Amino acid sequence: MTIIPVVYVKGQYNHLIVRNLKELGVESKLLPPSVPLEQLESMNPDALVMGGGPQSVRSPNQLTGELADAARLIRQVKLPMLCICVTHQLLATAFGGVTEAAQKPEFGPVEISVIDEGRILEGLKPSFTAWESHNDEVVKAPEGFHVLAKSDNCAIEAMRHDDRDVFGVQFHPEVSHTLKGVDLFRNFLHIVEEHKRT
Amino acid sequence: MGKRLSVAVQGFHPSSFLSEETARLRELVQEKKIISAISGGVDSTVATMVAREALGDKLLPIMIDTGFLRAGEPERVKERLATSPTSLTVRLVHASGRFLASVKGETTAEEKRKKFRQTFYQILKEEAEKEGCEFILQGTIAPDWIETQGGIKTQHNILEQVGIDPATTYGFKIIEPLADLYKDQVRTLGRHLNLSNELSERQPFPGPGLLVRCIGNVTKEKIRVLKEATKMVETSLAPFNYEQYFAAVIENRFAKDPSLETVSETASEALGLPESEVHTEVFEDRVTGVKGDQRCYGLLAGVKLSEESRETYGWLQDRLRQLQAGIVEKFPDITRVALLVKERRGGGPLSILVRAVSTRDFMTAAVSPVPWKILKDIGQQILKEESVSRVYYDITPKPPGTVEFE
Repeated sequence: MTIIPVVYVKGQYNHLIVRNLKELGVESKLLPPSVPLEQLESMNPDALVMGGGPQSVRSPNQLTGELADAARLIRQVKLPMLCICVTHQLLATAFGGVTEAAQKPEFGPVEISVIDEGRILEGLKPSFTAWESHNDEVVKAPEGFHVLAKSDNCAIEAMRHDDRDVFGVQFHPEVSHTLKGVDLFRNFLHIVEEHKRT
Repeated sequence: MGKRLSVAVQGFHPSSFLSEETARLRELVQEKKIISAISGGVDSTVATMVAREALGDKLLPIMIDTGFLRAGEPERVKERLATSPTSLTVRLVHASGRFLASVKGETTAEEKRKKFRQTFYQILKEEAEKEGCEFILQGTIAPDWIETQGGIKTQHNILEQVGIDPATTYGFKIIEPLADLYKDQVRTLGRHLNLSNELSERQPFPGPGLLVRCIGNVTKEKIRVLKEATKMVETSLAPFNYEQYFAAVIENRFAKDPSLETVSETASEALGLPESEVHTEVFEDRVTGVKGDQRCYGLLAGVKLSEESRETYGWLQDRLRQLQAGIVEKFPDITRVALLVKERRGGGPLSILVRAVSTRDFMTAAVSPVPWKILKDIGQQILKEESVSRVYYDITPKPPGTVEFE
């Protein structure tokens, strides 16, 4: 069985990620970001998903304890990883990108234009509706990443690492109103299964 | 949503849930008596039925009449649950006077919810002492504690998750058989328990009831008008199968903050209409919303279009979405936008807000496209109430709104 823990950074939808994964036959549960690396490794996880949360990543020197811990996991864990909303922003800043207050924050339904499916968005071209809830946004992707999707208000809705199976999405694939969110989780599972084989 | 629903059924197995949970309850409660707090809603009914499977006659269902229930509701619930297959003997505890007194003078959503919670558990404590019970069973489900823990809103049935130990504060332990389930899973479980459609598919109703739909100050008159409006909205919208639909009441007092003076301009821009045809007012009383996973106790903008534009724009979903998003993006303090349906000049000091949404699990919600003619009919009926002068339709999804108003 595939094991994918979800790192809980206090977002109200974090539970829904676990629900989505379980419905796809994955073993999953919420873990606090403070989980020691050895403990995480002892679970034999195949990948990691990080949820959203109410904190801001804008001043990296003053990250909340949770986000500082989550950033540590992002740097140390070498497994396939999917980072959602605030942890997408954290992923960007952890690798040297830039997050700022959004000129136009997005709440509710947003049309996402796919630039490059990059495997995680396979089958989602040319566009799909996703639900969002964010005041900040990634304005510059880190070096070694490329942008996969954008919206009218936000230039970096999704990105991936060029060489590793590490992905960030600004929108929420886990909420039921993102109808195609389940496709994104399925794509992620395919990537994880392939990673397991190699 | 069809595809996701079928996936949901795959992931949740009511029969294995039931056998695990009944075993856990028997182990926990042993031979002791246990009070079940019933609201008549699907959550507490299903929780009670799960517990009855496990505990039989040791379960004592009670329902507290808070005064914030819908017209005739306590009696109706008692009667309905007395019949098969539930066959529950529910004891009513009348406490409307105590609840009204406890929220008197409170105007903010959180304070009202906290006062309500205090009174609610105080009464349960008295009942538990009377019956010699050390356990209280309640129908808490996942979104209740997720929202409370995340600081979105204080749910009336959440204690331990916010650091209140019920055993030391109230002298009883709380049992929540459904705490990890979502609404759709609870309904699946209800059907598995052979509950009638009327019960398993019942329209959700919040624990604090009409209190959270009575925005700001609570008065007898506001509650009375709200009960009438609720009846009208529920009757008119029941045939449409929206997951949630209801009325709320707010006083016609408007914010005078100069930074809000350009809201009308933003609204007309978003709609592509001349400014002369759009008039926006921002209510003074605040309503709950959620922006970027943070609770936002923000303002509500009421948009009025000129008669002719209103008829044309009445239900152009995309335009109304642009209107709502345009305002909420630009004004950080505004969380919700409502469109005027009908008004009566020189009428009373209250507005009624109509809300209808589609939602699977109450974590996100889309505004339902209620036909414009139906909304106008509802408006017409509600305006017969002397103290109401305006009827609005809330066009805010969740996020940035919430399903309820407080």
